[in-house]
Amino acid sequence: MDKELIPRGVRRTTPGRFLLWLLPWIALLGFGLYGAYLCLAEGLNQTNMDNRFAFGLWIYLDLTVIALGAGAFFTGFLLYIMRREELRAVINSAVVIGLICYSGAVAVLMVDVGQPLRAWFTFWHPNVHSMLTEVTFCLTCYLTVLIIEYAPVVFKNRKLRQVPRFLVFEFELHKLMPVLAGIGTLLSFFHQGSLGGLYGVLRGRPFAFREELGIWPTTFFLFILSAAAAGPSFVLITTWLVQKITRKQLVRPEVFRFLGKVSGILLLGYVLLKTVDTFIWINATSPSIGFAAYSFYRSSSFGTWILFAEIVALGLFPALALISKRMCERPGILVAAAMMACCGVMLNRYVMTVQTLALPTLPFDQFLSYAPSWQEVATFLAVLAYGMLLYSLSFRYMTLFPQERELSRFPGR
Amino acid sequence: MFPWVYEFRWSAGHLIFLGVFFSVAAMIASTLVAALLRTFRDFRKNDADAVRWHVDFEDLPSSARVCRHELTGEVQHRTCHHEFACGTCTGHPQFLLRHTPAAATEDTLYGMHMPGDRMYHRGHTWVRKEDDGTCTVGLDALAERILGDAGGEELPPAGTEIRANGPAWRMSSQGTPVRILAPIDGTVIATGSREQGWYLRVMPREGCFAHLLRGEEIRPWITREIDRLQYAIAPDGGVPTLADGGELVGDLRKQSAGADWDAVLGEMFLEA
Repeated sequence: MDKELIPRGVRRTTPGRFLLWLLPWIALLGFGLYGAYLCLAEGLNQTNMDNRFAFGLWIYLDLTVIALGAGAFFTGFLLYIMRREELRAVINSAVVIGLICYSGAVAVLMVDVGQPLRAWFTFWHPNVHSMLTEVTFCLTCYLTVLIIEYAPVVFKNRKLRQVPRFLVFEFELHKLMPVLAGIGTLLSFFHQGSLGGLYGVLRGRPFAFREELGIWPTTFFLFILSAAAAGPSFVLITTWLVQKITRKQLVRPEVFRFLGKVSGILLLGYVLLKTVDTFIWINATSPSIGFAAYSFYRSSSFGTWILFAEIVALGLFPALALISKRMCERPGILVAAAMMACCGVMLNRYVMTVQTLALPTLPFDQFLSYAPSWQEVATFLAVLAYGMLLYSLSFRYMTLFPQERELSRFPGR
Repeated sequence: MFPWVYEFRWSAGHLIFLGVFFSVAAMIASTLVAALLRTFRDFRKNDADAVRWHVDFEDLPSSARVCRHELTGEVQHRTCHHEFACGTCTGHPQFLLRHTPAAATEDTLYGMHMPGDRMYHRGHTWVRKEDDGTCTVGLDALAERILGDAGGEELPPAGTEIRANGPAWRMSSQGTPVRILAPIDGTVIATGSREQGWYLRVMPREGCFAHLLRGEEIRPWITREIDRLQYAIAPDGGVPTLADGGELVGDLRKQSAGADWDAVLGEMFLEA
C-alpha cells in the first residue's frame, strides 16, 4: 500500500502491523493532549506545582530531553566541522532525535508557561540579563535549525525525491549543512549552559548556587559538558534499540564504538570537573553562605548516596567502560555503559530541579515534597508518544540509517 | 527587541545580546535563501539531472562504486568518489600510463554475449562508435536478462540532449519502473527498439568516452556485477546460490520471482 514511499532496498513491516504499532502511541498522545488542554484551559491549578515548588516534572523533562537531544548538535559538529565521516551513518537519526527532543521541550514549556498566546512577549520585551531569556532565544533558534536540518531527510524520501525541485533543494541545503552545524553548536553551547547557569545563579537556593567562573557559574559549563557526553550515548542507545526492535543491522559496529568513545571521553572530563566543583562547593561555597554541605543530605530521600550515584556509579564507571577499548568490543557492556551515562545525566537534572526546590532554605522552612498530577504526567507522556510516532514514521519512510541497505545485503560488513 | 519597542535600552547588555541573536537569525535566514538561490541557478543551468546522479551516487553502496582499476586488479581496494567520471579523476591517467586495457579476447561471458567492439557504462548500457561519427547505444546482455521479457520502454524523441549519467530512457519490468543511465553526452538522432538490439543513435559530444569500460575490463566487471546480482536476489543476509562457472538464465525475473525486484533493479541500474 505504501511501498512507493519506503526507501528502495530496505524491508519494512506490513502497513497493518505498522498501524498496530502506532495505535497505542496515538492513544497515548490523545490522552496527553487532553491533559495539556486541561492545563491550558483551566489553568496551572491542574498541576501540583505551587509558588514554592515552581519547577516540577515538566522542567525536569525539558532539562533531560534537551541534554539527551544534544546528540544532534554534537554529532553534527563532529561530522560537518571535525569531518568524522563515520558518523554519517547516524546523523539523520540524531537529527530526528534532536528534533523530537527540542520540539517536545518547547511544547511542554508552552503548557508550563500557561499563556502560549503571549509567548512572543519574551522575544519582544527580552530581559537580556535573564538566563531564561537566553534559553528561550537559543531554543527557538536551534529548533528552527533542526527543522531545516530535518528537511533534507524528508526531501530524500523516495517519492519526494522524484520531484526535481525537492531533490535539488535538498542537495543545495545539504552542501550548506556545515554552516547550520556551526550555528547549532553555538546555540546548543549557550542554551545548555544557560539551563545550568539558571540554577547556579540561585543565591537563595544554596544547594544549587555556585561560584562564578568568568561571568557564568560553574553549572553553566557542567551542563554543556554533561549534555555533550550524554548526547552521543543516547544516539547509541536509540540506534541499538531500533536494531533490536526491527531485528536489522543498521550501522557498523565501529560506529557504536566511536560514539561510545566520544561519550566516554567527555563523560570523564565532566566527572572530573564535577568532582572538583563538588569539593569547592562543600568546602567553600556552601559554608560561605551559612550552610554545611552535609545538611543538604540529611533527608532520607536525598542522602549522600545520590551524590555517589551521580558522580561515581553513573559517571565515573560508565566513563571508564566507554573509553576502555576492550570493554567496548562487547556490545552488551557498551550499551549498558551508555545507558548508565544517560541515567547519570538524567539524575543530575533531577537533583538540580527537584532536590534544589525540596530542600528548606530558611530555619522555619519544611522539607517540601511534590508529586506530579495526572495532567502533568499525561503531558509528559504526550511528548514520549509524539517522539515514538515521529521516529517510527521517519524510520519507515525516510533513510535514517544510510548503511542499512548495504548491511541488509552484506551483513556483518 | 527593537529601539522603538518599550523597555529597549541602549546598553551594552541589550546590544550584545540582541546583536548576537540578530546575527544568528540572519545567518539561518541567509543559509536558507542561499540554498533556494542555488536551487534556481541549478535549474537555470539545466543541472537537475547532474544533481540527481550526484545524490544517487552518494547513496550507492560501496560495492557498486568500485573503481575500474580495482576491477582489473591494478589496485587492491579503491572506491570511486568521482561519480564514475574518470575524466575528473586525478588517479586515472596515472593508472593508464602504467597499464592500458588490452582488447577483449572473448565475446561470451557466463553465457551472455558481450562483444568487445563496444564500450560499456556502469549502468549496463553499451556504446558502439559507428563509421559516420554517430554512436549506437543499447542495453547489455546482463541488463536484458534482469529486465526479463515483459519490459516496456519510453525512449526520448530525436533531438533530445542526453548527458552521461543522466536519464537516457525509461523502462519498466513487470510494472516496476527503472531509469536507464545515459552512457555518453550527445544528441539523440534516432531511436530503435529492443527487437532491433539497440535503443538510441546519438551524435556524441567530443571526448566523452573516458569513463566507459572496454577491452579486458569487461570480464572482471561483469563477474563483479553477477556477484552483486546474486546478493541482491538472495533474501536479506542470504548467501549467493548460483554456482561459479554457470550461465545466467534468460529471464531472471521469472526464475527468482520471490526476490525484491524493486531493490534488485535499483541496485543493478544504480538508482537509489
